[in-house]
Amino acid sequence: MTTTRPSVLLLVGSPKGLERGSSARLGRLLVDGLTQRGWASNAIHLHAAVANDEGRRELVAAVDQADVVVLAAPLYVDYLPAPAVRALECIAANRQERRGESRPRFVSLIQCGFVEPNQNDTCQRILERFADHAGLEWVTGISLGSAGRIVKRGRRALALLAEALDLEILVPQEVQQLSQSPRAPGWLYVLAGNLMWRRLARRHGSAGQLDARPDARP
Amino acid sequence: MARVGLILDGGTGDGQDTRGAADVAADRLRTLGFDVERLSLRTMAIAPCVGCFRCWIETPGRCVLEDDGREVARRVVGSDLVVLLTPIRFGGYSSELKKALDRLIPIISPFFRRIRGEVHHRRRYSRYPELVGVGVRAQERPLPDEEDLFEALVLRNAINLRAPRQAACVVDRDDPKRSVRATIGRALEQVAGR
Repeated sequence: MTTTRPSVLLLVGSPKGLERGSSARLGRLLVDGLTQRGWASNAIHLHAAVANDEGRRELVAAVDQADVVVLAAPLYVDYLPAPAVRALECIAANRQERRGESRPRFVSLIQCGFVEPNQNDTCQRILERFADHAGLEWVTGISLGSAGRIVKRGRRALALLAEALDLEILVPQEVQQLSQSPRAPGWLYVLAGNLMWRRLARRHGSAGQLDARPDARP
Repeated sequence: MARVGLILDGGTGDGQDTRGAADVAADRLRTLGFDVERLSLRTMAIAPCVGCFRCWIETPGRCVLEDDGREVARRVVGSDLVVLLTPIRFGGYSSELKKALDRLIPIISPFFRRIRGEVHHRRRYSRYPELVGVGVRAQERPLPDEEDLFEALVLRNAINLRAPRQAACVVDRDDPKRSVRATIGRALEQVAGR
């Protein structure tokens, strides 16, 4: 007798791809938690997938076949990067036509470059509506600030989430609590961030020009 | 000098989903005294933002990708009011509108500051346009909270793109033209009527 392993599909919505960047790293942490429990996994880079018909077809087919879909993406101008939005449009359009055939569970991991994880809230709410619209079962949205840098408690949150997905139990409240509090006071983040930009500017020979206004009105 | 009103039309497909609302917004802006510019984003070559931040640290204020995305940013900075026009997708924007918005990060500074208790980026320019979000709904059964979500997203954009004022409205694609005119007119007057 053979048993089919449950499968998780990781959708990475960052331009940096499947190997680099915070979004891919966060997504992999969650997916690894599931593969260690015997799950099969697949990953798609959304920027590449939506660029042509074949990629879009593979994307929507992969979503239909998954038991759990994990979207890991950065916050760009308060929402997902445009190619990730395009992916949602494709998935929703496909699943509207095939409603009822399957109902994968959906998890979103969104990280922003500000210190406050709650700056992702609007994006998460839109993703919840997307899940409803596309016939996916919304599980939870994990929001991270500080460009997705996670410490021990963030890893613990993702491990608990993997366990809940595997056991098909409710996501413990602890998962949200572990991920949602800012990692640093706002004033410190501002200070450290501004020092970082100045250091990067010096490295690129643009120190003193960071406030340039090339398109200022006359 | 007349004020400039820029319509960023995020219509998809053949553009029919937003064309009527774009015409209405353009007419109303003209009666409010604006010179109107319209950009049909789906016809423009705007590559996705690659998240490199070179527009902040290598060529400050200008994206390194040489395509129409630069022109959109230049026009936004040169406008007094920008209409974010989009078919509503799950309460948010279409990918066509979003591809243009993603390319606006050069118009703000990389440096952080705190605004209303949150960390945001400082302004690069001394003035920024007002923002008016116009969402066009096509579904027969609207999703719950769709209007609230759309308004929330426009508000978040206004904070991060440093708009002095913002408004948002949602119209149904099949609404009578008179109703569409009234709804969009109210939103535009809310920020530009003075």
